[in-house]
Amino acid sequence: MSLYESTFILRQDISVTEVNKVIESLSTTIKDNEGKVLKHEYWGLKSLSYPIKKNKKGHYVMLILDAPHRAMLDLQRKIKLSEDVIRNLTLKIESFDKKDSIMMSADNEK
Amino acid sequence: MSENKIKNIESIYENAHKRLFFRKRTFCPLSEPDAPKIDYKNVNLLGRYISERGRILPSRISSISAKKQKELRLSIKRARILALLPFVKQ
Repeated sequence: MSLYESTFILRQDISVTEVNKVIESLSTTIKDNEGKVLKHEYWGLKSLSYPIKKNKKGHYVMLILDAPHRAMLDLQRKIKLSEDVIRNLTLKIESFDKKDSIMMSADNEK
Repeated sequence: MSENKIKNIESIYENAHKRLFFRKRTFCPLSEPDAPKIDYKNVNLLGRYISERGRILPSRISSISAKKQKELRLSIKRARILALLPFVKQ
């Protein structure tokens, strides 16, 4: 088991409830593989610096996960199949802050 | 006494020499103890170290230490993947 920080960008034309639904399904994949979701952050609908798959904006969601390797493989497979997730970045991390990240507090809108 | 005087004069000359070639001491703004942590999420911080065209500023201009420049470079590249920062502007 190791800690992961996973950030997703979701399609601009889905609603927040649909975003939560997608994230819920991704979380269950982790839980099914004996992993845990330690933190869940929704950064909001932010404008992208460059268009991705004709999207100019995207919903940003960050998860902190404590999961075994096979759970992460399963997660990656799900993300690739998903039409709603247009970009993701998963990093292995040593530790994480329990407080809200900088994206939640300061307005990073440009 | 006269010997002392000579020494004083010498020291003045030395200082004058130093002043002539005085360079502003540069320091790394991200190596200070209360400096913010370099992270791909801190877009405001990373935005300061990219050029108008979106390129990463060389450390000789921003006077970032080699260690911090390495972290900065990695963070900017991560932020670019997540479209928080541009690869190129216009």
